[in-house]
Amino acid sequence: MSHETWQEQLRRGGLDLAILLTVSAGPRYGLAIIQHLEAFTDLVVTEGTIYPILGRLTREGLLEAEWVEGEAPHARKYYKLTRTGATRLSNMKAEWRAFAEKIGRLMDAAERTDHAAL
Amino acid sequence: MQLSDTGVSRVNGYLFVLERSLKTFLPSDLVRDAVREIESHLRERVASAVADPNERDVLERILAELGPPLRVAQAYSAERTIDEAVTTGRFVPIVRAVGHLAATTVTGFFTALGLLIGYLTSFGFIALAVLKPIFPDNVGVQYVRGFPIGLGAHFPLRPGIDLRGGYWVIPVALFCGLGIFVGTHRGARRFLSWWRERRLS
Repeated sequence: MSHETWQEQLRRGGLDLAILLTVSAGPRYGLAIIQHLEAFTDLVVTEGTIYPILGRLTREGLLEAEWVEGEAPHARKYYKLTRTGATRLSNMKAEWRAFAEKIGRLMDAAERTDHAAL
Repeated sequence: MQLSDTGVSRVNGYLFVLERSLKTFLPSDLVRDAVREIESHLRERVASAVADPNERDVLERILAELGPPLRVAQAYSAERTIDEAVTTGRFVPIVRAVGHLAATTVTGFFTALGLLIGYLTSFGFIALAVLKPIFPDNVGVQYVRGFPIGLGAHFPLRPGIDLRGGYWVIPVALFCGLGIFVGTHRGARRFLSWWRERRLS
């Protein structure tokens, strides 16, 4: 597997979690979600591909979408976390932390072995 | 930034291509919703862009960040068709999803080829079961030098072709056809499910 492919898989794996985290603070519309993700991460490579993911998360019942008129010259589609989404997010956060911790331990162990070998 | 007529035409052109691409696999209400959302995104981006005498460059940068319309449509297709196929397990969504993967990935192409052979074989057996009562002499077990080589149909039945078998061919062909169909269909669903997990993992 090339480094780019690995990075792409890592990015995709984190994107659902990142989107759910972004809307966990309160409802946000598509561009606001993208800007938030861009401000904190480099997960957004092509902005237009975020919308299909928002659509899937909505179909899965993790997000709820609503068009809001009158707030701007054009309508905005707001996404908010559902109760199911909040539960899933809580599980995902725990799993992500546990996973990162395990990989971190593994990396520490590998570095210790490297130092010992030197 | 306020768009000139040329800029508005460029945005409308982008949305037109996106809509046409989405229409090939999404229901019309979802297409409308998706296009409306992308349009809202573009309007928001344009409105917040700093006024620049070179409107074309600004607009092209915004459109490039959004991604080419075909790529955006492909992303919708990937999210939508595979999920629908795995969730419902229905024939048409599964065929559509496998077709999409075949057109976009090498693994998908070869898997689709295998699945196509499976589906065609199953339809072939079912067709034999349907044809047997209508053309009893043209459908049966084909023998070559006294050995059975398989079920088949010949139109017209040329001299020298040895077709045998009574109406028992019908349940045998149906059993084989449906068995292969169910096996292929389960394989297709399992492949899509694996693909979906891989995408989410």
